[in-house]
Amino acid sequence: MRLLLVEDDAEVARFVRKGLQEAGHVVEHAANGRDGLFLAASEQFDVLVLDRMLPGGVDGVRLVETLRAQENRTPVLFLSALSAVDERVRGLKAGGDDYLVKPFAFAELLARVEALGRRPSGDAPATRLRIADLEMDLLSRTVTRGGKRLEIQPREFRLLEHLLRHAGQVVTRTMLLEKVWDYHFDPQTNVIDVHVSRLRQKLDKGFDRPLIHTVRNAGYMIRAEA
Amino acid sequence: MRALLPALLLLAPTTAALEPAARVTTDSREYCAELARRFATLPNAEAEPARSLAAEGVRLCDAGHPRTGVAKLRRAIRAARMGQ
Amino acid sequence: MVLWYATAGSLDRQTDAALRTDALGLIESWRGAGARGVAEAVAERLANDVEGTAIYVFLDPAGRRVAGNLDRWPRGVEPDLSWTFTTVQREGTEAEARVFAVEFGDGHRVAVGRDVAEKNRLRELLAEGIAWSAVTATLFALAGAALLRRAVEARLRPAAQTAQAIAAGDLSRRVPLSRREDEFDRLGESMNAMLDRIDRLMEGVRGVSDSIAHDLRTPIARARAKLEEALGGPGEPEALRAAMEQGIADLDHITRVFGALLRIAEAEAGARRAAFAPLDLAAVLRDVAEFYAAVAESRGQALDLGLPPRLEMVGDRDLLAQAVGNLLDNALKFTPPGGRVRLLARALPREGVEIVVEDTGPGLSPEDRARAGERFFRADSSRATPGSGLGLSLVLAVARLHGGDLTLEDAAPGLRAALRLGPG
Repeated sequence: MRLLLVEDDAEVARFVRKGLQEAGHVVEHAANGRDGLFLAASEQFDVLVLDRMLPGGVDGVRLVETLRAQENRTPVLFLSALSAVDERVRGLKAGGDDYLVKPFAFAELLARVEALGRRPSGDAPATRLRIADLEMDLLSRTVTRGGKRLEIQPREFRLLEHLLRHAGQVVTRTMLLEKVWDYHFDPQTNVIDVHVSRLRQKLDKGFDRPLIHTVRNAGYMIRAEA
Repeated sequence: MRALLPALLLLAPTTAALEPAARVTTDSREYCAELARRFATLPNAEAEPARSLAAEGVRLCDAGHPRTGVAKLRRAIRAARMGQ
Repeated sequence: MVLWYATAGSLDRQTDAALRTDALGLIESWRGAGARGVAEAVAERLANDVEGTAIYVFLDPAGRRVAGNLDRWPRGVEPDLSWTFTTVQREGTEAEARVFAVEFGDGHRVAVGRDVAEKNRLRELLAEGIAWSAVTATLFALAGAALLRRAVEARLRPAAQTAQAIAAGDLSRRVPLSRREDEFDRLGESMNAMLDRIDRLMEGVRGVSDSIAHDLRTPIARARAKLEEALGGPGEPEALRAAMEQGIADLDHITRVFGALLRIAEAEAGARRAAFAPLDLAAVLRDVAEFYAAVAESRGQALDLGLPPRLEMVGDRDLLAQAVGNLLDNALKFTPPGGRVRLLARALPREGVEIVVEDTGPGLSPEDRARAGERFFRADSSRATPGSGLGLSLVLAVARLHGGDLTLEDAAPGLRAALRLGPG
């Protein structure tokens, strides 16, 4: 993917850029909001990674507002040291698609960037999601594996749906907490792990090939091959 | 107004030395007599209460109280006029 | 002064008006019948002067008296339409008179006056009366003001003393109430409410700084020690790698504690009220319960629910979920396998909502419960449990943000945490 990183802190920028490049992405970097806006408006990117607070008169929120006013729909991930809930809401209202509070693990950033970059295109909403011999029918809300129907609770259904929509990508615990449960707090315990392992039991029990994989220091991934 | 009073009192002795103050002549038996005559010419002079008021006025004047007498006579005259 | 002008002043104005009318009448007589007319009019008026205060003198051009009751022209009076005060002799005494003089065309002149001695006496009486009443009124006003002031001072003294003590730094003082339920008690009550809030905020600040000291410094120190140890060690790649991984894990933990502290501070400052919205608490609780039920199940514990179908309130969904989540998390942590945790909620008879989390764990001793109620930071963080150690602090902050409180009771066995929320 082709990414634009707008970040004024040189050390953070170097670290993020290097990590994203190692993950196989092309990264352009701008150190202030003005340059960032110029690049974002003149070139094509898959995802913009913006610091929420930027020097040079154009901060992250202004940058996104300007882009959105120009019908530019490139997905935007905000990076911010501001964790207050209304800061987050303001960032998303301005047109941001995701919000990540500093400090963050690089795996978290990478997972979110990739999730944004490979978002399902909105033109043909899928009614069926499939991976290997697992099939999910979004209309009848049923899940089958190898033709055998699985008993799945509503919340597990949403969890599986999210994993399937990002099949082959890492999905972090925080992403699941935010997207599946809409919670934005620290649940203290490894609740997400418990939910995922319960789902994994239902999915993989009795089958040789596991579908849900744990990615060390990052999160989970659903994919066909081990 | 009150400020004028002491000022006048201060002035009074100095001017009094030059010329005696004018004297009021109506507090006298002469004026009593004049009023009594005037009263007598009124048509209602014999009607009450004017008549007794006048009589008392004259008596007071004779007894040496001309000011009160004059007042009584004046009231008698007014009473007589009102009775008309 | 107004009273003086209205009474005594009007006496003077009456006199002047009467004199003016009198003089105008005499001018009329002069025009109609000349000197004879004036003389007749003067005699007539004197005859009708019941009050006995009228003074007239009518002189011909030679200065001889034609009519009137003064033996001569009064001294100091100019015959030029002028107003004068003068003195006249009356039965041997001097009396003050107000005189208005008019000179007719051919040298005849008339002075019209009134003996104002009586009026002056009246005026003096009036002045005296007004002066006395003014003095008395002033005395009464002063006495009344002093009494009122003393009464107000006496009622305000406790509040003032409290305020002084607080200004001097003693935040524990409160205004004593008289139970009269008057304005002063209301003032005292609102002062006390304000002080309670300030006290809580101060306690929060103290608590937060205590927590920052304890909850952040300790893991930072730990992480630092480990990294230093690794640096000074033999330097085997495996060991270094392990130390760095541990260092990152420690930093993540510090970040979590920091996040929790910020969130508590946000709730305590009331900043999160912006996120208040009408919500169905029963649905929120069901979701949280379902979220943690998986944990209970994995540990062989039972999580029972006792929730009404709907429970409408106004609040912050995310914070409420986190608060109840913390209570459930605590309960599950302290309940042994096979134990039972119950989540109950109901609308309170009047207003507000009560959420109860009961467990069958070991519970807390009464002393610990009391301490937990006073100072959550200490009581909570002194316990060697996993997590940020700030769980109950956040619950309490959320409860207070929603106009409520948190109480811990003995559930025999186990702990019963009751979260009461105000009407939003």
